[in-house]
Amino acid sequence: MSSEISIKDKIKRNSSMFVNFVKSAVTASPKVQNNFLDVSAKVAETVLKIIKDADLVVDLNYKGKEFWSQNRCKTACFVDGGVDKTSIISSAPLSIRAGSYVVKPDATSKREYFEESMVFLGDLYDPKNELYDFIDDDFEEDQMLNKKKDGARIIFEAATIVKHILLNKKFDYCFLHGPIEGTVMPFSVPGFPTFTKFAVENMFPFAINKKTDVAARHFINVYLEALNYIKKGKFPIYGIVETSNSAPYVKNLLYNYKSQGKISDKDYNNFIKIIKKYKITDSHLLEIILSSGQALKPLEIKKQIQGFTVTAGSSWEDMMESFPKVFIGYIKTTDNNSPIRIESLNNSKNLIKDYEYILGTSRLLPNYGFPVGLNVVDKFAKIPNWMSKASRKYYATHLLRQAVKNKDQNTISLAVKILSKKARSWRNRPIGGITK
Amino acid sequence: MLKNPNWKSIGTVLGETFIDCFYFSLKNYKAKKGDIVTTDSKVPSSEGKIIPVTVWGKISTIESSNAFFPTEAAQELTNEDIDIRDTILPTTRDELICKVVILGYTKDEDKSSKLLPLIYPVRPAATVKYPSSEDVEALLISDLNSSHPIYIGSLLAREAVKIRIDADNLVSRHVSIFGMSGSGKTVMVRRIMHEMLCKNYPMLVLDIHGDYLGFIQKQKELYPENKIKLFYPNLSVSSEDKEIIYTLIDKLGKPLTDPQKDFLNSLLEKVKYEGGSLLKYVKLLNQRAREYASEGSTSFKNIRPASMYVVARSLGQVAKKLENMEQTNFRHRKKMSKLKFVELADPATEPEKIISKGQLSILYLKGYETLPASAIVSILLENLFKHRQEVNEEIPPFLTIIEEAHNFIPSRSENKDDLPSVETIRKVITEGRKFGTGIMIISQRPSRLDETIASQCNSQIIFRMVNQRDQKATRDRSETLDVDDSKQLPNLANGQGIISGQVVNFSLPVQIKFDEKLINEDIGNENFIDTVENWDDSEAVKERQKFAQDFSDISDMDNRSAN
Repeated sequence: MSSEISIKDKIKRNSSMFVNFVKSAVTASPKVQNNFLDVSAKVAETVLKIIKDADLVVDLNYKGKEFWSQNRCKTACFVDGGVDKTSIISSAPLSIRAGSYVVKPDATSKREYFEESMVFLGDLYDPKNELYDFIDDDFEEDQMLNKKKDGARIIFEAATIVKHILLNKKFDYCFLHGPIEGTVMPFSVPGFPTFTKFAVENMFPFAINKKTDVAARHFINVYLEALNYIKKGKFPIYGIVETSNSAPYVKNLLYNYKSQGKISDKDYNNFIKIIKKYKITDSHLLEIILSSGQALKPLEIKKQIQGFTVTAGSSWEDMMESFPKVFIGYIKTTDNNSPIRIESLNNSKNLIKDYEYILGTSRLLPNYGFPVGLNVVDKFAKIPNWMSKASRKYYATHLLRQAVKNKDQNTISLAVKILSKKARSWRNRPIGGITK
Repeated sequence: MLKNPNWKSIGTVLGETFIDCFYFSLKNYKAKKGDIVTTDSKVPSSEGKIIPVTVWGKISTIESSNAFFPTEAAQELTNEDIDIRDTILPTTRDELICKVVILGYTKDEDKSSKLLPLIYPVRPAATVKYPSSEDVEALLISDLNSSHPIYIGSLLAREAVKIRIDADNLVSRHVSIFGMSGSGKTVMVRRIMHEMLCKNYPMLVLDIHGDYLGFIQKQKELYPENKIKLFYPNLSVSSEDKEIIYTLIDKLGKPLTDPQKDFLNSLLEKVKYEGGSLLKYVKLLNQRAREYASEGSTSFKNIRPASMYVVARSLGQVAKKLENMEQTNFRHRKKMSKLKFVELADPATEPEKIISKGQLSILYLKGYETLPASAIVSILLENLFKHRQEVNEEIPPFLTIIEEAHNFIPSRSENKDDLPSVETIRKVITEGRKFGTGIMIISQRPSRLDETIASQCNSQIIFRMVNQRDQKATRDRSETLDVDDSKQLPNLANGQGIISGQVVNFSLPVQIKFDEKLINEDIGNENFIDTVENWDDSEAVKERQKFAQDFSDISDMDNRSAN
């Protein structure tokens, strides 16, 4: 009973789970609202029981000064990507880059350096296929645009890590801001453009000798190729995610218990329904369960799952099985934040040391609780608004000039459409009621 | 044309630029606050052409930031006592953003380096360059357009750039020099005096502390062609001007009642004095007042002898204080026996003894209280100014240097604006430009100065200043002091000052050249601890001590009780 009170108190103590519940209370049914505290406390208690049963919790060691004097000889690389924020109708993105921050604290020369590992300005996707086939519906167009941007960023980040491996960099660690393996399902939609041959060959030189036909240049194939290469990297590579909006860890843990016959199918299915109903995520649960400085050992989890509505029946469905499984663990770096998700394509032999390094770098941001190197490279790689605006203006003007020069009416119409396309603004919304 | 291909590139202009300023990203350690920088630009000419120009500006602020170093990381480093160099935190990403106040532009095609006001913003993304010291110096001197520049020091940010100020504006448009004690005001004044002496320009210095006596000591060596005279004050009164007696009694004596004032009025009318020493006159009045009182004179209607005695006593007090001040001044002069002091000549009848070509006159006022000193200055300046106003000029234009000016021109808020010097200096400073009677006022408390007089100074030289009221007063009374420069005032070191106004074209932070040889050797330094360590009582003190105990014993014995 005492643990239940403790967990309830933890939930009420402004946990992210409680905050999330308050936010969605407007839409939740009265019954859900009424039972929220009891149900979520019981869910947390049960998950904690299973975690303890599986012996997944580890206590990490961190003593500031001592930790850094021991680890000052380590070379760490932090990778993040940035895409311009401007919306322009075209293949997009116009400008994208991935940056690396490499640091070896005790190095006598070149202690730290930043590099724009991958930079691109222009059309990353091949204009010969669906690129310029405008969709009449603006909403659909925006959806596709965002997917293109996301796809480009993910590929750039993967390509950056590949580049470091190819160049045989002597890193002790490499960290990526975001999942080490993203979900590819959104990019399997029909009409998603392929990358240009030039782009693929430059990002992944090892693919030059391979066939680079249109299908091979699709996001899913290129990404799979990159991940397989990353998996073979000689230094530990981790993807680190600030918060989890889903519950892959808890779901997989319970799935494993169900597979082992420790939980009945019925209980498993009910549990999955409950966490969906109450919008409970890994972050919510583990924030309550773990204490600062504690971690969860990784579970091997399949990220690309067949049978989703989007991929089902698509030509990409069979590919899902080919993607490597991901080892997912969590570290609670501070008392006040949700645990961060740690992803890797390999199960590390020095897991505790690796996790302690991640904890140490996160403690340098004592409030935010996230590896400071990723915070640094995030600022470096971000494409500022002024740069986005400038590239948009340059691109649009260039296109119009070309169009006028060619005297092709269709191209001119296209350029005009691009130039006139503006982001939606609340200020431009029609005013309701009687206008003066 | 002031343009040199060898000027080093030190930064890049940032995105937004204006007519009066721009910002640029600076390479590490390549420039400092106060440095003069340039950037190439283009402006439309009046003929509609686009002409290449060089834009000149002064770095007014430098901000350094490291966007990659999160604030909360500092918290962890401090709490855990971690050395940043042991961690993965970046240490090399400092961004330096400079604000440049635009001074003007020079046309690339012109030979002249005259600065013109910028009429079109500089180009964003243009390269910012660091011009050579010679070119900056050439620009400053050329732009000053002065027929008589005088060297005062170097640009604070760049020692190699010599700074000259315009002597013509200095002597005609009045200058104020402000700064706290020990900040470098006197060093600056000595520098100016040195240069002006070399130009044979007559100067009159009202010296309270003897800071300028070094000029006399070094005359033979440094200024063999100049006359340097050291005066001590002579409080005189003319036969017509007897108002001073009322003021003296009011300030130094016992305040009088109305019947007593009536008696004083009658006394002044009865006692004839052809003019001359003020002290003699006061003593004469005192003697006569006593005589009238003892006689029980009836020549004064309704005034009782008691009232006459009060007036006599008050005049006696005034005489005593004046005598004391003269004595104090005399003792100070005596200490400097090597120097030749002469009594101040009568400015009404012999002004040429005080002001003449190539002459520096120092009036040594040490020992005098505010009112008598003010009276002395008032009479002196009033007469000299009259001579300059006359058609038949008897004396050449001259510069008056007023040290510790708050003693002579106090602010109204000090309730001392009835000092006779206030009105005189106000008149001289307002009309002086026409008659060549420039004034330089020096003070460590600008907020205590008369507002009208201070704001008449068209140029300012400001040294370190910590007092907020003084900083505000300085800003309020200067039209040309750069706002960013004024923020620097509390942090200036000794001898560092900011010059603004008509003696320079734009506000400049300057390191004043220190003329060591002009220090008064008799005053020496202020190292009193050393003085005490080497102290030996004077002979007179030793003599007194020799007999003191004997007298003390006698006194003790005398006071013993009977048993």
